[in-house]
This record gives sequence, C-alpha cells and structure tokens, in this order.
Amino acid sequence: MLGVWSRGTVGWVIAAALLPPLAVLLVEQGVSAAQGIAVALAAVLAWQAVFRFTAGVPMSPTATVTAVALGVLAPGDMAWWQLALAVSFGTVLGESVFGGWGRNVLSPAVVTLAFVYVSFPEVSHPPAGAWMALACVPSAVVLLAAGIVSWRVLASSVVGLLATAWALDGQPGSVAAWGGVAFGLVFLVGDPVSSPSTSAGRVLYGVLTGVLVAYLGHQYGALGAPQAIVFAALLASIFAPLIDQAVLALWAYRRGRRHA
Amino acid sequence: MKVRIKGGIEIVLRGQPVQAIQAANTVQTVGTPSMDLWGIRPDVLVAEGDVVEEGTALFRDRKRPQICFTAAVSGMVSELTFGAQRQLASLRITAGGHARRQFKRPVAASRDSIQALLLESGLWPSFVARPFGRIPDPGSTPDAVFVTALDTRPLAADASIVQAEGREDLARGVSCLSHLTAGPVFVCQAPGEPLVQDGDRLRCVSFDGIHPAGLAATHVNRLFPLVGGRTVWQVHYQDAMAMGALMRSGEVSGQRVVALAGEGVRRPRLVRIPRGADLDELVQGEVGGGAYQVLSGSPLGGRPSRYLGRHHWQVTVWPRPPSETRRNWPGPRAQALKPSAVIASAALSRSLALDLPVLPLVRALSVGDAETAARLGCLELLEEDMALVTYASGEALDLAALLRSALDVLEAAQ
Repeated sequence: MLGVWSRGTVGWVIAAALLPPLAVLLVEQGVSAAQGIAVALAAVLAWQAVFRFTAGVPMSPTATVTAVALGVLAPGDMAWWQLALAVSFGTVLGESVFGGWGRNVLSPAVVTLAFVYVSFPEVSHPPAGAWMALACVPSAVVLLAAGIVSWRVLASSVVGLLATAWALDGQPGSVAAWGGVAFGLVFLVGDPVSSPSTSAGRVLYGVLTGVLVAYLGHQYGALGAPQAIVFAALLASIFAPLIDQAVLALWAYRRGRRHA
Repeated sequence: MKVRIKGGIEIVLRGQPVQAIQAANTVQTVGTPSMDLWGIRPDVLVAEGDVVEEGTALFRDRKRPQICFTAAVSGMVSELTFGAQRQLASLRITAGGHARRQFKRPVAASRDSIQALLLESGLWPSFVARPFGRIPDPGSTPDAVFVTALDTRPLAADASIVQAEGREDLARGVSCLSHLTAGPVFVCQAPGEPLVQDGDRLRCVSFDGIHPAGLAATHVNRLFPLVGGRTVWQVHYQDAMAMGALMRSGEVSGQRVVALAGEGVRRPRLVRIPRGADLDELVQGEVGGGAYQVLSGSPLGGRPSRYLGRHHWQVTVWPRPPSETRRNWPGPRAQALKPSAVIASAALSRSLALDLPVLPLVRALSVGDAETAARLGCLELLEEDMALVTYASGEALDLAALLRSALDVLEAAQ
C-alpha cells in the first residue's frame, strides 16, 4: 500500500507552494523575472536529465525552488550565462552528485545563490518587498499543514531573528525587509532535506539561523539583505548534521541512563 | 495503567470489516506458508498419506528439536514436498474428522511443566523474542512478556469482540505466562475494562491512540525499553487464549478469528479459520470484480500468500500494485532508476510512535549501517513495525527488509 508522503508528492507540494511568491514576482517585475526563471529552470532540468540518463538519479520538481529563489533573492541584472553557470554549480555540486534531491546535504538553491553572490559581486540585488512577505504566508501555511516544513524550525528561527534584531538594532525591521527573509525561511531554511531531523535539533537549527540572519543583516547594513539570508541558511545547514549528531548522542545517553 | 499514544497515522480504507464473527467458506486445506519456516530448519515427522489429529506434531526444528509445529486441523497429509537440501517446500493437510489430540495437563504449574506443555502442544512458536524476532530458545528466560491484546492495524478485527468469548481462557493463559519469566507480564489492551487484574508481576496497561498504538514495539518502547541487553517475548492475545484453553481442557484448537476485509471483499467481516488456511479456498466467490490479490496480513505489511501465516490475524483482498516499469521513465536506454530518497515529513515522524528518532534510523538502515541503527534503537523493532514507516515514506524503500539485514548483522556479531 502506497503512502502519501513520497519524495514525488513532497516535491510537488513544495513546487505548488511556490506559486504565490512566483505570482508576486511576475506581477512586480514582469518579463525580466520570467526570463530569468525560465533560464534557471531550463538549466536545472537539463542537469537533472543528464544525471537521470547517466546515473539513474531520479528527477525532482524541486528544481523550481532554485529557479524561483534566484528570482526572489538575486533579482539583479545578470547575463543569461551567469545565471546558467550559477545554477549548474548549485544543482550539480549541491544536489546531483549526492544522488539527487533527498540525498543532498545543502539546498541546491542556497548553493546557487551563494555562488551568485561570491562570483558576481558587482551585481546588486534589490531586496524583495512587502508583497513577497505576504505571499509567503499561504506558502508557509500549506507546507506546515502538510508537515513538510517543520514548525519547530520556522518558529524558532523567527524567535531567534527577532530577538537578535532587537538586541542589535532595537527594532525588528520593516515589513518590506521581511520579503526576502520570509521566502528564505520558508523555502531555504525550512527545506526538509537540509534541515536536521530531530525535534531538538530543529529548534537549535532554527535559532542558529535566526541569529545568523539578523547578525549578517546587521553587518550588511539592512535586515533582509538577500546575502544575509542565503549565507545564514548556508552556514546553518552546514551545521545541521552536527546538531543532529549532538542531539542523538545526548538522546542515547539519557535513554541508557533512564532505563538502566 | 493508561498510556496515551500521541503519534500514529490515521489510515481510512474501504472494506472495513463488520465487527462480528460470521460464517465463511469451509476451508478444506491448510498448508505451511514459507514465512512460518523463517529461521528454522524443519525435520518432518509425518509422511504423505498419514492421518493426523488436530495437534499432531508435523515437524520440528532440527537445531532445537523440542520446538514442534502441529497440525491445525485433523485430516490427512495430502502433499509433502521438499526443495533443495531437503528443505521443506510444502506440507498440505486435507481436513476431515474432528479428532483432537489430548495433552496431559501438569498437576502443579511450574516453569518447567508449562514450558514442556507449550512445546509439546505446538504453542511455543507463538512467542516472538525481541530483539531479532526469533522463536525463543526453550530454557531461556525473558526479562518481560508482552501480551498484545489490541490490534490497531487498518482493517483489523476489534480485539474486544474476540476476547469477549474467552476472557477466562485469556486470564488463565496470562497467568501461565507469568511462570515463564521472573520479570513483569504486560497485558496491553485497548481502553476499557481491564482484561486481567493487576497482580504481583502482572500489569494490565491500556493503550489509547491510533496505529501503531497496538504494535508490540510501541508497548515495549513505552514500558520496558530494550536497553542493556534485555530480552522480551511477545505473544498475540489469541495465542494466549489458546494457552489458557490448553490449561483448562488439555486441547489446542487450530482455529483463529481473523478479519477478512479489504476493497475486494464483497462482505468484509470476521471469520473463524484454521491457522495456515488455504486463502484461495477462503475467498472463493467472495471477491468482487477487478485485479485483486489476497494478502496474508494487513494492507500494511501483509504478504501475498497462499496460506495464512502464523503471526497474521487478517486476510486482506487488495488491488494488485501497478507494475514498476511504468515509473521508469525514460525507459531501458537510460540507467535504471535508483530508489528515491526518503524525505522528512511530519507523517514520517509520526509513523513510529516511539521514543526513537525515525528519520536518522531510516537513513542508517538505508545505507546498511547496522551499528548506528542499533545505537538508534533498531533492536527494539521487527519487520511488522516498519510497515507504517514504509507506508509513510511512500514505499521508497523496503524498510522491513533493510531492518532484517541490519538485525542479521547485529545478531551475527553477538
């Protein structure tokens, strides 16, 4: 008997949750956003198909996350080859070489974006606006209700972010600044594959991400700077396996003691 | 004592059985399904054409010859074939007559006398030992015994209906179990009136919740986790009732109540059939039109089988799964599709209602890391416990088989 939450289903639900942010993107930026997303999506799918044919790595609808994330968090003026290069790097080295979505350590969208910021620092990326923040609310609701994004991650990252922002700046930033933050928290930080798999680990990871987003935002000069979110997500997901290991070691120790 | 199970997954299926024991086709043939022979090397004691009574020993384990397996019906051995290395391939009995073997009841109940009676009467193989899931060695002593007196699997029989007609036998069976261990005997039941009175070592615990609240793994994990090399035995309530009946009358009935259910059955209901019943005979004329297969066991973890397995209490008539080839785009010219990964989801976390980390465990099993799996508690689990996890993860991996290979590695290392 086939259960509901297979890799395919989860992937399609995530892709569906991208529709509100995508709609905002297309309304606000029109054709240029559509072109960028189309180039990025074509590049991801091309690499997925290559790995499907040569290595049997199953394809995944989460290709759309990388494409839309580029539109939201890296909307600067980039040439098509820059986009294609970044996407190729992110998809191949972030996901496909590990055996496709579900076996990766870092989110390919995060790797792609980090590549963009590091390799093409001359391009400036305007932050996403208030409408993007609002558009991420229905996405978050869907993903939380489906149990794909962990509420522990989302709640603890928001708490960590607010607390740190308050401590550094004395205010939580404007709603406009939250556009990129909301998208990043829901689709990059909340990614079920690259976030920890234990309950306590998810809370720790969320707090860590929130603190990093606020701190890096402070360093970049504005809460909601796209770079702050992406590098916070990158750092936190590098630590995710370590957090899991620590939580599991503690669990095993306590279990042994409790029932000794 | 009451335990509330928070996790679990509600699975709503068509073909729920009517919770009443009703008439069914008379099953004329019983056999030995290959799953019942797992882990033993049978030494056959009968020949083709022999007339057997209900309770006559048919074969025994070559390594542990006290453990014998008995006939579930009286009749004649109509087929006996051997495969490679004289491994038993099939043993069929065609029913006839009502002769039942009488066993000598012990004068005084003691550990040795009860063990001897259970071994001789063929009830010993109803015990499953954790870790590893084998029939326990005669003479070994578990640290606790668990009677699984509820069933939360989808389409299962309501245990209280079956228990209603044999509560005294159940109590008698449970009290004879307490001779087999120096530790506690847990009777895990659905919420309601306690089935047995709490005693010195006897604990009646009610488990409230949805599947897997009724699995022995859940009970063991909550009440007696397997840390520090503990061993527990689990036994199904109908087997415990059979033990009670044996103590009362000196006879063992091979009949059991199972749920005959699933989408394909015209009248899903509870039926009384012998252990090892020929399922084709049982469902003859009962199946609606469509491509169905008959499973021994529940839709979760049940197996296509000709005969009812010893540890199965359900017969499910279920749609045949679609063939694999359709999924394998873009066809034979490309590399074969690798199994897809298991993605973390709330459903997956809820699928083992245990204090065990599900996803790290699944990951350890999927890469064959038995040592890590053991550290994460896989010794508490058996194949039956992985069915819901496999379901929740969309059947990406055969977790039951992966768990078994990890357990085999760990058992060999002991």
